[in-house]
Amino acid sequence: MLKRWRIDTPLCPAGHLPHKGGDWLSSGTAQTSPNASAKSKRLISPLVGEMPGKAEGGEHRRHALSLVILSATLLLSHPALAAPLADIPVMHEEAQFAGLTHAYRGPWEYFVGGGAASFDCNGDRMPDLFIAGGRDDAALFVNESTKGSPLKFSRRDHGLGRDGMRVLGAYPLDIDNNGHMDLVLLRLGENLILKGGPNCSFEKANDAFAFDGGRAWTTAFSAMWEPDARFPTLAFGNYVDRSAPGSPWGTCHDNVLYRPEQGANAPLYEEGRALTPGYCALSMLFTDWNRSGTPDLRITNDRHYYRGGEEQLWHVEPGRSPRLYSRSEGWRHLTIWGMGIAEADIDADGYPEYALTSMGDTKLQKLDEEAEEDRPIYTDIAFDRGATAHRPYQGNDLKPSTGWHAEFADFNNDSLADLFIAKGNVEAMPDFATVDPDNLLIGQWDGSFEEAGGLSGIGLPTKGRGAVVTDFNADGLLDLLVVNREQNVSLFRNKGMKQGDRAVAGGNFVAVELAQKGANRNAVGALISIKIGTRTVNRTIQVGGGHASGHAGFIHAGLGTSERAEIRVKWPDGEWSHPYRVFANNFVRIERGEAEARYWYPVE
Amino acid sequence: MARPRLELVAFAVLAFGVQPAAAEEAIPPWAEAVIARGLQQKAPSGTLDRGTLETLRQRGETLFTGHFTGADGVGRPFATQAIVPTKRKRPPQNEFFRSAGLDANACSGCHNMPVAGGAGEFVTNVFVSEGFESADFESLDPQFSNERGTNHLFGAGLVELLSREMTRDLQATRRATLAKARASGEAVSSELMTKGVRFGTITAHPDGMLDLTKIDGVDADLVIRPFTQKGVMTSLRQFTVNALNHHHGIQAVERFGKRWTGEDDFDGDGVADEIADADIAALVAWQAGLQPPIRSTPEDDEWQKAAERGNAVFDELQCSTCHIRALPLSSLEFADPGPVDMAGTLRNGESEADAVYDLSLLEWAKDLPRDEEGNWLVPLFGDLKRHTIADQEVSAFGNELLAQRFVERNVFMTTELWGLESTAPYGHRNDMTTIDEAIRAHGGEARASRDAYIAAEEADRSALIAFLRTLVIGEVE
Repeated sequence: MLKRWRIDTPLCPAGHLPHKGGDWLSSGTAQTSPNASAKSKRLISPLVGEMPGKAEGGEHRRHALSLVILSATLLLSHPALAAPLADIPVMHEEAQFAGLTHAYRGPWEYFVGGGAASFDCNGDRMPDLFIAGGRDDAALFVNESTKGSPLKFSRRDHGLGRDGMRVLGAYPLDIDNNGHMDLVLLRLGENLILKGGPNCSFEKANDAFAFDGGRAWTTAFSAMWEPDARFPTLAFGNYVDRSAPGSPWGTCHDNVLYRPEQGANAPLYEEGRALTPGYCALSMLFTDWNRSGTPDLRITNDRHYYRGGEEQLWHVEPGRSPRLYSRSEGWRHLTIWGMGIAEADIDADGYPEYALTSMGDTKLQKLDEEAEEDRPIYTDIAFDRGATAHRPYQGNDLKPSTGWHAEFADFNNDSLADLFIAKGNVEAMPDFATVDPDNLLIGQWDGSFEEAGGLSGIGLPTKGRGAVVTDFNADGLLDLLVVNREQNVSLFRNKGMKQGDRAVAGGNFVAVELAQKGANRNAVGALISIKIGTRTVNRTIQVGGGHASGHAGFIHAGLGTSERAEIRVKWPDGEWSHPYRVFANNFVRIERGEAEARYWYPVE
Repeated sequence: MARPRLELVAFAVLAFGVQPAAAEEAIPPWAEAVIARGLQQKAPSGTLDRGTLETLRQRGETLFTGHFTGADGVGRPFATQAIVPTKRKRPPQNEFFRSAGLDANACSGCHNMPVAGGAGEFVTNVFVSEGFESADFESLDPQFSNERGTNHLFGAGLVELLSREMTRDLQATRRATLAKARASGEAVSSELMTKGVRFGTITAHPDGMLDLTKIDGVDADLVIRPFTQKGVMTSLRQFTVNALNHHHGIQAVERFGKRWTGEDDFDGDGVADEIADADIAALVAWQAGLQPPIRSTPEDDEWQKAAERGNAVFDELQCSTCHIRALPLSSLEFADPGPVDMAGTLRNGESEADAVYDLSLLEWAKDLPRDEEGNWLVPLFGDLKRHTIADQEVSAFGNELLAQRFVERNVFMTTELWGLESTAPYGHRNDMTTIDEAIRAHGGEARASRDAYIAAEEADRSALIAFLRTLVIGEVE
């Protein structure tokens, strides 16, 4: 059923040529220590493109040669885009109209980052926004949209003073279980934990939580509740250690894991444990890849700066020191310019797939046939599924793309996962597409993806970074915020499905909010299994991934033509709920132990 | 590769939005097809005038009564009868299969008593199952399916219009209650009542959460679903699309086409895009326009007298508490697609143009009584509400083993009694040969009336039967 032309070069998962010594799945010896990289004599700058280090110079002549070949390959490898059979959402950009005037700006250190957090900070269950500003101040926007209306936000003082500056990303979660969403801010310098209060108020909680925000250049975050823990375990991913000799090359900072100690009604994060080696993480995600009930930590790393590095998966077992999955355990060597992680069980086989953004092609990883419960062997199916998204799908620029935030979501409510990828040149990198529109890969019934970024209206000439996919106006259709570098954010309202020059209703949907008493009240780590006919749509509640961006609140799922759904919840401790029967096109809240789901209605 | 449907020229040119196919070929009058024997149509749009409506309904009648063939798309070797498009793993051994379908050749194969559009006797029972897994085993064994009688469709357009207005009322109450709770900052409760029928209460909280634990006889989304004995289908359009697939293997484009399945021949029978929106519209228009049943006057004087007495007994025994004699309807404009359907059934605004069938243009509408407020009074003898109809002692109506679409096994929609005399046998399984048997089988919420019936004088019981037997479909126009 594959429609794409195959290349007979050895494993080059997408359109660009294999790099000398890089971008290969390797069966060689694991190189998990910094010393190993010194022996390998890898290229300082890869053959194709570069990352923020462009500011320090690059390998232009080699690039020029490789790009000639690369361009030819790209031409051959991507025939004319087929129009998706599935619905294409009509995404209407209305950031300025909605009151969102904000850009992510700054010099080299802010070439990466550019995230946003979406969560309800005033108790109306509508997603509000905290958007990083980079060198400039971050911004808090309160959502004033009503059901199905044009989007509307009003800016609110975040109350952080200068702490609101130098923010690269933000993730929401309720750390202290008090019912108010807290915020973790990833910064250039001291990271912050903001304790959320009523009516979108925040206070710095680093001291209260005994959290030393450090001085690193933090670019990734994830969190989870370990078994029986009252408070979450936090993981921070750091980028280049700018103070190390030889910086930035080969000077990636360690990442840090914080396990909570019990304080008086609050966690104490007094002691962080270094996750060594760090390979310049740009996204990380606690993920229960083998459905063991114990999430591990997946980290995607930027090969541009590490030496001897690779993608990482850490065992994070309760009460034990984290340790890397090794080659003997099946973990394969993969080096990419990892920038974002998205997770979804796109084929509903119970095990998640992962999209990893990079420069050039996006990876789409699925457990290999050789994988076992304790052997995380992944194979890249991006090319087979049409999900490489390796170069701009419109315009005349045939250079490789630069991918950042990735997120699976069902934009057309047909029950199939779609994939959004934020794209944008790092800054002014000549070897990569200058105009690099964001992707909206629409899931097809045959398991493939088809590009609809241009047709949907999101194909703008911006430099995307972080993003949030959520339903900002509670109409059951997923909207999209994209944080752009040096340009105003893009805010796309999903108006419905494209039918000629009209927008019509999409498939049915359900939006689910989970709640449990005590710790982890929002059930981070829970699996929501939605049965529609013979099919199952799975969603997992997670904190982390994407690119410096996260969201909390209702979990959305398209139901296609199903008018009803049976929802079972695998709570974070592994206990399965009974089936909850819900009618489609509703927002429901499932409280652990309750017999029935409760319905919530937005302001109309 | 799906074979293209024969492009055939109709015998009669349809007046509404005719849009001939590019390459029409003359067809012989003996061509073995039903759907194909019509021009490729554009779906009707706007409010149809009487002539256009009649022409559309004629097309609908042709489709309703015609015996479908392979050329029409009969057969679904690789799809089940499920409402949600569902693949089979292999073709069934026999394409026609009494329980899981295909089980009919024409709509009127079952809906034929006393005329097309009517009910069917026991032999026309259908087997209701989810149809998702193991279709071969969804057999006559009641652990796999529920056996149901064939309902008549006379007055169905009015029933759907009533349900739309009731849904609108209930959801307006919900909106108002939520708004009050948000404005006051306190929980607010409201009674759900529409057209005199109570559906319990809701309580809204200031944060937008809604307590639905005390609703009664309606789904949690407050949509009145008036069709099937169980009351689980929203519209004639939805039911038509379901039934065409279940009973004939004819798959409507609006649910089984590329948009929702990625394929134009989802059932793998070699016929692509089997029935278009326009033909579904014709079927809907025909059914929606079927005249409402009437109360007849017996020629026999004694029967007349008994019926009059029975009319009073009907109230005295409180049968009319649920079998409400008539419900008021404010408009006879039947929008197609309707306002309540969900994805998979064509929805308002989803086609290029929506149509309105003004049922007041039809002859029978002149005979519908109106109240002082100008509402039409629809004499359905029902309340469009679901009730528990079985209990420990009287459990005959609790004879199903499977819940259906979230509705428990002993809960059913109040049967509309109009047309009762024309549609024996009785009960949701069509296995009660007399009205008396059916009344005696009422348990649960109807137990008191049933007990009162049994305790009543023989003359009153007989009178009640006499009255109920005056409720007939009547002479069809």
